Amino acid sequence: MMNNLFIEPFQKFLVKVTGFLPHLLISLILIMLGLLVAWLLKRVVTRISQLLSIDRLSQKLGLSQILEKSRISESLSGLIGSSVYWIVLLAFVIMGLDALKLPAVEGLMTEFWLYLPNVITAGVIVIAGYLLGNFLGRAALIASVNAGFAVSGLVGKFVKFTVFIMAASMALELLGIGKDTVLIAFAIVLGGVVLALSIAFGLGGKDAAKEYMEKMLKEKTDEDDIQHI
Amino acid sequence: MRAVQAGFAKYFPDKKAILINSDGGSLDGTHEIVEKTVIDDFQPLLIDQRQSILSKISVPYHGIPGKGSAFRTIFQIAKELGVKACAVVDSDLRSITPEWIDLLIRPVLDKGFDFVTPYYLRHKYDGTITNSIVYPVTRALYGKQIRQPIGGDFGFSGKLAEFYLEKDVWGSDVARFGIDIWMTTTAVANDFKVCQSFLGAKIHAAKDPSSDLSAMLTQVVSSLFMLMEEYKDKWKDVKQTAPVPIFGFQFSVGLEPLHVNIEKMISMFGLGIADLSELLKDILSSQSMKELVEVASADSFHFSDDLWVHVIYDYAIACHRKIMNVDHILKTLTPLYLGKVASLVTEMADSNADEVEERLEALCLAFEKYKPYLIDNWD
Repeated sequence: MMNNLFIEPFQKFLVKVTGFLPHLLISLILIMLGLLVAWLLKRVVTRISQLLSIDRLSQKLGLSQILEKSRISESLSGLIGSSVYWIVLLAFVIMGLDALKLPAVEGLMTEFWLYLPNVITAGVIVIAGYLLGNFLGRAALIASVNAGFAVSGLVGKFVKFTVFIMAASMALELLGIGKDTVLIAFAIVLGGVVLALSIAFGLGGKDAAKEYMEKMLKEKTDEDDIQHI
Repeated sequence: MRAVQAGFAKYFPDKKAILINSDGGSLDGTHEIVEKTVIDDFQPLLIDQRQSILSKISVPYHGIPGKGSAFRTIFQIAKELGVKACAVVDSDLRSITPEWIDLLIRPVLDKGFDFVTPYYLRHKYDGTITNSIVYPVTRALYGKQIRQPIGGDFGFSGKLAEFYLEKDVWGSDVARFGIDIWMTTTAVANDFKVCQSFLGAKIHAAKDPSSDLSAMLTQVVSSLFMLMEEYKDKWKDVKQTAPVPIFGFQFSVGLEPLHVNIEKMISMFGLGIADLSELLKDILSSQSMKELVEVASADSFHFSDDLWVHVIYDYAIACHRKIMNVDHILKTLTPLYLGKVASLVTEMADSNADEVEERLEALCLAFEKYKPYLIDNWD
């Protein structure tokens, strides 16, 4: 009776524990190894990035200023190194969890590797979108000022944020977050902004628009006779 | 065409001459005009010594479309023919006379000069990019007081044409635009003998209404700054400037009134300072930026020479360091340039030609005075 009630389950438990311990050990070893490999790779990647003058490029592209504004004290090469560190460590942690052979975490590794390229691509799209948005926004701002538009600042910001929002929505779609919702929301917001501007300009600002157009037309006939070259 | 033909007949009757139309495939009938235009009777021009016939070559140039590629073709033909002297003139000139040919070529043939730059009579408000940037900067950098470094009409020796051809620039922006300042700077920086010829008035065909000031300014200034990179070891050593010999009979004429919209220029300046301040802060020194804001907010508009010199030198340094896209850097200069032009036009409203030249001399001296600032901040 005692044997059936206590000893047998305990024996079964012991068998399971002894069967599980090697997996746990392997898992811990993998995580420890992951810490070491991630640290090493972080050092190597950071150094290579520094040698490739990534920080100077970041300064030129305006990324360093963004980091400063976001109160991130690390350089871009440091950030790339840190990203590699966390990706490698996460991979080893998932391998470690996989090694435990627990039904709940089984297949996690496969899913992680399948999802990782999407995360990296989305990151690249967001960064590229930010840079392109900055570049085009700046170009639009300068062109507007040189054309004498009074709302140049608004034009520059509109171009910059439109490009960035488009890039962000592409990235989110790639990550499978909200898919159609993001696209629809984006379309609604953009359409709404355009409609609001049209109504504001057409109704609220019709006198200002008239005045502006008159001024523009007057200026067309009021050009300088100077030959600059 | 007729002026060039008469020029050769009158001033170089005993020399072999060839007229080249270096054409980029224009469809405006230039080729036909070159082929058909001839002077049948030289008597009304008081020319009776005509001994040689002017040969004409009308060739399409190849490569990148632009004035530079057209000039390259001329240099190549000059080299192949082993010419002693060449003159190049813009095809849209309305004020060219036969004397121009003499004035551009004779200093090379008889006086041993390698490069002849034009010296024009222009309205006091015209040529503002030349007057406020190109002339003073070229003079301060390379030490030669060449009044029209980007005049467009030049004379040069066969030796210099060969030297130009050897330069590896024909795939760069020099082929598209900037050939004028490139020719002048290359001649000066490589110690060729340079002089000027007084050509009188310069009148172009009506300007292209689509020509964009910002694009024009960017092209000229980028060429100037690009040459600063190439000749940095030369201009850093130049400590003082020297006058350049000038040939031809100098005269002056009355000034036609010219319409200038100063209020619009000042308003563009104000808009630039307000909306581009974030970019300007990266390009300019904090002192220049502070002073520009003060100029924009002052009751009476005045853009001093000292501030303008520092602005131009700051732009040169910013382009050298490539702190952002160079095209973007240079395009932000347009409102500041308009501010300086508005200030100069206001100051020179009642000035005659000599007083205008004195005013520009003061601007040039400011560029020379602050050259150490440029050198100190270059590296």
